[in-house]
Amino acid sequence: MSFHEKSAWAMAVILLAGLGWYVRTIAGMSAGMEQLAPPVLPVVIAYIVVIVILSIVGHVLIAVAKPSEADDMMDERDKLIAARAGNVSGVLLGVGVLAALGAYLFTYDGNLLFHAAFLALMVSQIAEYGARIVYYRGGV
Amino acid sequence: MAKRPPITNRVRELRERDGLSQAALGQAIGVTRQTVIAIEQGRYSPSLESAFRISRVFHAGIEDVFGWEEE
Repeated sequence: MSFHEKSAWAMAVILLAGLGWYVRTIAGMSAGMEQLAPPVLPVVIAYIVVIVILSIVGHVLIAVAKPSEADDMMDERDKLIAARAGNVSGVLLGVGVLAALGAYLFTYDGNLLFHAAFLALMVSQIAEYGARIVYYRGGV
Repeated sequence: MAKRPPITNRVRELRERDGLSQAALGQAIGVTRQTVIAIEQGRYSPSLESAFRISRVFHAGIEDVFGWEEE
C-alpha cells in the first residue's frame, strides 16, 4: 500500500469520526433546545482544529512506519486517482449545497442552511477519500 | 469497481527476464513501486509516455510490451 493510499485511509477514518462527532454534538444541542441548534463558532473551530491535528499526527505515524515512502511524490496514477476522486467530491458538494439552498428557499431556516452546507462539505470530503481508496484497490 | 481496460502487458515477464525489481523499474520510469504492481496486475494502464519509457527500459517496441485484448 502506497503512502498516498495510507493517507487516504487515514483521512477517511479521521473525517468519518469528525462527522460523527459534529452530528452528535449538534443533535445533542438541538435536543436540549427542541429545535435545530444554530451553528456555534467554537464547535466549528474545534472540529477544524481537531481534524487538522489528527491528520498531521496520522501522516507523521504513516511516515514513521515506512520512512522510505514518506517522500514519495504523487506519480501519474496518484494524480489520476486524485483527479477522479476530486470529481466525485465536487459533484457531491455541488448537489449538497444546492439541496441546502433549496431547503432554505422553502423554510427560510438559516441554521438548516448552514448545517446542510457544512454536512455537504464533510460528506464530499469523506467521499473523495473513499473514492481514492476504491480506485487504489479496484483500479483506475 | 472500475472496469479493467482491455490492455494487456508483458511487463512482469520482461522485468523478471531482466532481473529488475518493481522498485527499480518504477524508479527508471518515474512511478512508484505500487504503480508498477498495478500495471503488472492490469489495474492501471500507464500513460503513453510511461508506456514508451517502459518499452525503452526493456529495449523493446511498445507493441512488444503492450497489447490490445479484443472485447
